[in-house]
Amino acid sequence: MKRIDTEILVIGGGATGTGVAWDAALRGYRVVLVERRDLTHGTTGRYHGLLHSGGRYVVKDPVSATECIHENRILRKTHTHCIEDTGGFFVVTPEDEGDYPDKFVAGCAATGVPCNEISLKEAMRREPLLNPRISRVFEVPDGSADSFLATHATAQAARMAGAQLLNYHQVTGLIIEGGDGEKRVVGAHVRDVARGEDLEIRAQMTISATGAWANVVAHMAGISISVIPGKGTMVAMNHRVLNTVVNRCKMPADGDIIVPVHTVAVIGTTDERVADPENLRIEPWEVQLMLEEGEKLVPGISRARVVRAWAGVRPLYQEDYAGSSRDATRKFALLDHKERHNIDGFITITGGKWTTFRLMAEKTVDMATSYLGERKPCITATSSVPGVDQGPYWLGHRLHEIEEKKLQGQLVCECELVTRSMLENAVRQNPTITLDDLRRDVRLGMGPCQGGWCTYRAVGIVHEMTVSETGHPAESGTAEWDVAYMQSPARNVSSSASAGAPAIPDDERALFNPNLLLRDFLQERWKGVTPILWGQQLKQERLDELIYLSVMNVDHLPDRDLSSPVTEFYRYDTTPNGNLEAPE
Amino acid sequence: MSGHSIDLLVIGAGWSGLMAAYTAANAGLKVQVIAKGLGSMHWAAGSIDLFGYAPDAPDTPIHRPLEYVTGKLAKEQPQHPYALLGKDRLVAALDSFVALTHELGLSYGGAAQPGENLMLPTAVGAARPTYLAPQAQLGGDLGRSEPMVIVGFEGLRDFYPQLIAENLAKQGIQARAVLLPFDVLTDRRDSNTVQQAHGMDDPARRSRLISELKKLAKTGERIGLPPILGLDDHAAVLFDMQSQTGATVFEIATLPPSVPGMRLFKAWRNRLNKMGVRVDSNMEVVSAQSEPSSNGAGPSVHLVESATSARPMKHRAGGYVLATGGIMGGGFNSDHEGHVWETIFDLPLTTPQARSEWFNPVFINPAGHPVFSGGVAVNEAMQPLDGDGEVVYSNLWVAGDLLAHDNPILQRSLEGTAIATGFAAAKAAAAAS
Ligand SMILES: Cc1cc2nc3c(=O)[nH]c(=O)nc-3n(C[C@H](O)[C@H](O)[C@H](O)COP(=O)(O)OP(=O)(O)OC[C@H]3O[C@@H](n4cnc5c(N)ncnc54)[C@H](O)[C@@H]3O)c2cc1C
Repeated sequence: MKRIDTEILVIGGGATGTGVAWDAALRGYRVVLVERRDLTHGTTGRYHGLLHSGGRYVVKDPVSATECIHENRILRKTHTHCIEDTGGFFVVTPEDEGDYPDKFVAGCAATGVPCNEISLKEAMRREPLLNPRISRVFEVPDGSADSFLATHATAQAARMAGAQLLNYHQVTGLIIEGGDGEKRVVGAHVRDVARGEDLEIRAQMTISATGAWANVVAHMAGISISVIPGKGTMVAMNHRVLNTVVNRCKMPADGDIIVPVHTVAVIGTTDERVADPENLRIEPWEVQLMLEEGEKLVPGISRARVVRAWAGVRPLYQEDYAGSSRDATRKFALLDHKERHNIDGFITITGGKWTTFRLMAEKTVDMATSYLGERKPCITATSSVPGVDQGPYWLGHRLHEIEEKKLQGQLVCECELVTRSMLENAVRQNPTITLDDLRRDVRLGMGPCQGGWCTYRAVGIVHEMTVSETGHPAESGTAEWDVAYMQSPARNVSSSASAGAPAIPDDERALFNPNLLLRDFLQERWKGVTPILWGQQLKQERLDELIYLSVMNVDHLPDRDLSSPVTEFYRYDTTPNGNLEAPE
Repeated sequence: MSGHSIDLLVIGAGWSGLMAAYTAANAGLKVQVIAKGLGSMHWAAGSIDLFGYAPDAPDTPIHRPLEYVTGKLAKEQPQHPYALLGKDRLVAALDSFVALTHELGLSYGGAAQPGENLMLPTAVGAARPTYLAPQAQLGGDLGRSEPMVIVGFEGLRDFYPQLIAENLAKQGIQARAVLLPFDVLTDRRDSNTVQQAHGMDDPARRSRLISELKKLAKTGERIGLPPILGLDDHAAVLFDMQSQTGATVFEIATLPPSVPGMRLFKAWRNRLNKMGVRVDSNMEVVSAQSEPSSNGAGPSVHLVESATSARPMKHRAGGYVLATGGIMGGGFNSDHEGHVWETIFDLPLTTPQARSEWFNPVFINPAGHPVFSGGVAVNEAMQPLDGDGEVVYSNLWVAGDLLAHDNPILQRSLEGTAIATGFAAAKAAAAAS
């Protein structure tokens, strides 16, 4: 059996785990990170997209608010190109009565969140679709952040610092030595799920950054921690009705915020306890509630087309440990299992927010350091990840680059402006097992047609890459090409004339079966759209059926008896069930 | 006739609408067609699917579809549109369509053995059952034994020959793939198959492609291409390709827009114009007014109103054929509360009125998704019926994807039902006027 030895093993390839790997590698540790699917498969890839200013927490949770504004300022420098400086409004609608606005202003002052009341006229000038019956507007430095890109850029920075990141590697058990009172985690049993191979990773410190799955991993060490998955649903409207993040000025609740994300506007979220963090059925009442609440901020928004609904899971941590502890169990939970359970070599970090992932990573590696011995100090707050030279994200960047470089003929996905070379580079440089991985990498199929055209094209292109002897390496950037630039059309320009490196590493070719890719991606889309199919979107779906069933006959392709190893979760039932009224 | 300047107003310009207009005009009626946009002809493969897969054996294509739909299917599903039509009208409709395609110079044909389904390669290399196909697709008949070379073009984003060949080979069909440089076709990179097809109308362009094809085809091999064999001058392009390469050259349909569908639509529409039928494809009918029953005839449609960018317009006719194409065509609309309704007459629908009953959790599902099987229930004359089985309007006939009790995409019967019910609706309207 293959065995890897390292100092730190990180379990989980979300924002937190990737951040831990980055931080630890920069401090000089040898690091291996394992993620059971693709990076950002978990909550990080299903979040709302808000770079918190902290405004949301100034009354309810001042410590979080201070953390958020602190990290907000740092991430704008370390992850510049992943963040759009949309700014944010907290607005008082006729439904938000009472003294909350005054408490909000006082809270901002106390926590250091910059807040500036602007006139309604000014707010309406900047956001003409806002509810005109709003009475007060406060401006805060909220932003919109792309967690897919940010995580990939962080991962790239970690790799450059020497970390090894393995996706499609699932921890199936922890390796534990010693008996009563002397237990020590010395690594993990890991399964390479794509290739169906087992390996063993030995480490001096194992850090579980598995979010809502934290308790599952803790169980492998024979302990239990109170992490309860809480599901949040979001809906994306096909128009970017706002360019500013808009929050209701009230105690945080369901559906009280709209975030402009790339080409869409996302209303969110709900918060429901669920048993299984993988089964994320979206109930009709949740979509209904988002649309109704969205109306209070932008009247008429519910008549726009919903392009997709999805849900993510929050790890709700409940402290059940009474002893004195140096744990940080505020909005994130950093658990020292040596102190709590007398198990050495094992730390859990869960909870928190995307906005605070860097801080969480810093605190986690600080704790690991107290066991492993001091190395270099933490420098993530002042290091930037690859790609920041592209400057802050702005909505027109893809279109601008495509027009400037005349790449229209290369477009594979017209909705999200994905070119063939972007897709090829993502496949080549970033382990890709499903087309869904490409969705996360380059936003393939995220637009209004939900993959109607690009699914076929992506399968055809990936297949061409697996059969060709040599690929078409990127012309301006084979050498410097970098995942941090994977969303930039201009950085991914190929010339079909040149020949070069194999299209896909040899050992990965066997993983691509075009028929499975096609079938799985169609199913994945189905899972994403069934909760919001009606009206125009239902019509679009029927046209997509016409293409894939009538014209292509994908339901009668060969390999019908095969199935991919890592896509069972696509088949969870997400079709609407129940009614439009929220349960009490 | 009806005493109106128009005897029959056909709403919808898809397969069923055009077939109804053509049939009614042939029967001597004064016909007009108005439509909001273009129907599924512009999206699909351009062939006539009659019936592909039976619900009880969804993996095996139906071998003899005409026999099946008029026999077993009609017996088991007496409300299915084919069952209502019966064999005679179905055969007459198909014959009439084939005769029309000959007149249009865009002949359709079927399998070597009459009555059998053709199996044609698709753009992913699956084998697709269909009943009648344009001449240019017939060369791909998988019932024939000659090996094929599938030719694509580097960077043409809507056609992947290696994928096609590999999947065909997996099914025991001799096929290989060749990728030609894109500039064999054109220097315009941002183009789809429609633009390529249009380019081939130019004899100089096609002779370039022909000389490349001659180099690569082995003796006895047939040549499969994306649907680019001309747009306006298709017959000439196909002829040149075959005569000059000495090989069978055929097209494999791919992503929309549909080149074969566009060829047919253009020619068919011109033909209707010549027959005196106006086809307006930018008019959305938004509402209707009815007249109460008089002298025992039951209620009838008095007029319909259309909305254009300019101003609303009223249209009066003796009779009306509704061929607006269900969920896909826009004839039905639906909302988040689970209501599905017919947009012009608000005809009664069999569709489940609850979103929890619309879908199956698995996309590729032999049972299909119930929301797509619902529609307007009709009698044998294609007249819409209410819940009590009473005719809703005496001068309204319904055809195509609006009809209840089938899922034509799942069963691969979309064009077959559309043509046959469009034909039957027009015949019934002609008989009534
Ligand atoms: C609905 C919702 C909206 C949100 N919106 C925002 C927002 O707008 N702004 C913000 O700042 N924060 C937001 N958050 C919070 C934020 O998304 C999370 O705090 C953050 O993404 C958590 O990242 P993580 O890396 O800790 O967890 P995850 O991203 O869940 O990562 C855990 C990873 O561990 C992997 N894993 C699990 N088990 C194993 C195993 N056995 N072996 C290997 N790998 C394993 C999983 O596959 C997963 O990828 C939101 C959260 C929710 C639920």
